[in-house]
Amino acid sequence: MTGPSHSRPRTLIPMALALLLLAGCGHAPGGSPGKAASAASTDTLPLEPVTAEQIHRRIAEPGARATLVNVWASWCGPCREEFPAIVALAERERSRGLRVLFVSADFDDQAPETRHFLAEHHAPGPWLVKTGRDQEFIDGLDKRWSGALPVTIVYDPAGKPVQFWEGGADSARFAAAVEPLLTSQP
Amino acid sequence: MHALRSPFARLAALAGLALALTAGSARAQLAIGDALPMKDVKMTGVDGKSVTIAGVSGKKGTLVVFTCNHCPWAKMWQTRVTEIGNTAGKAGIGMVAINANDPAEYPEDGMDGMKQRAKELGIKFPYVVDATSDVARAFGASRTPEAFLFDAGGKLVYHGTVDDSPKDASAVKDAYLKDAVSAVSTGKTVTTAETKAMGCSIKFRAKTTS
Repeated sequence: MTGPSHSRPRTLIPMALALLLLAGCGHAPGGSPGKAASAASTDTLPLEPVTAEQIHRRIAEPGARATLVNVWASWCGPCREEFPAIVALAERERSRGLRVLFVSADFDDQAPETRHFLAEHHAPGPWLVKTGRDQEFIDGLDKRWSGALPVTIVYDPAGKPVQFWEGGADSARFAAAVEPLLTSQP
Repeated sequence: MHALRSPFARLAALAGLALALTAGSARAQLAIGDALPMKDVKMTGVDGKSVTIAGVSGKKGTLVVFTCNHCPWAKMWQTRVTEIGNTAGKAGIGMVAINANDPAEYPEDGMDGMKQRAKELGIKFPYVVDATSDVARAFGASRTPEAFLFDAGGKLVYHGTVDDSPKDASAVKDAYLKDAVSAVSTGKTVTTAETKAMGCSIKFRAKTTS
């Protein structure tokens, strides 16, 4: 295990190429579901501040059999550890109807670290950042949530939370949490 | 079976049973009015002495704060927590800071780091190790920092965060914990009994008892 705030520098060439790609695509603010963060540089990745209410609105949008919300922070060790497994799950199960919403709990002045982490891990957009007071956000998202990071909540197509846990998890747990929804009849 | 045709689906199915047993609920926490648990459990402090929560309790109340060394949120509040703890004793509220993290996860959270931090901060109350993490489990603590304040009768009267501005002490509007300590020490009712803030999940040691 490492401390909370380590960054893993990698070559900038892919990011520079990705920046060109982004410029050519005219990427929308906040990103689009399914677009990976590799399609932007650490300087330009568009972060979208969101309240808990706005997250619930996104969860309620049609088009997904399951929505997985993961609140993380760039300085949080367990968040960093589990993040690649969620990204892999998002890519693998997108075609089966999985929507993943990553929500950063970094502070405003940590936006460079947030962008760097998202780009480094090729995180799919939208690239959301928690805004507002902690308690309002925590209770607004789920009253069971103590505020500990990371937290993961899986919602069914009706927006009902069907899985909730605090703390880190492995790829098997994430897969098991969404599988029943992805295999259910629409 | 359609649902199990992919390797990932089979993996998910295997993990499903374990998940069903654990997901869907948060860790059970003490509720306002609950009694102070595990008050006679011995924990070792940074001064090498054995400490119990009962032993540090004041005449007017007891403040237990779960914290650690590595967590950025704990660090942001550590000076304010120290000030509260150092002055609470004079007001009849005994305080203990408990580190329940497994240092195997974060070596910074080991005893050497705790001793150093206690010295840097000028901590005048016990800063102890919950060597099994069972005290944290009994409180239902989940994050650092997380405060539990009990009245003279050992009933929980405040649970939650320190204040509403972790990053900027000068921007605090609601000093929840400080106000709660003040209320308990003067015999008043705590006006805001439960608060939440983000924090680092406690890195629990593996459970050794059933």
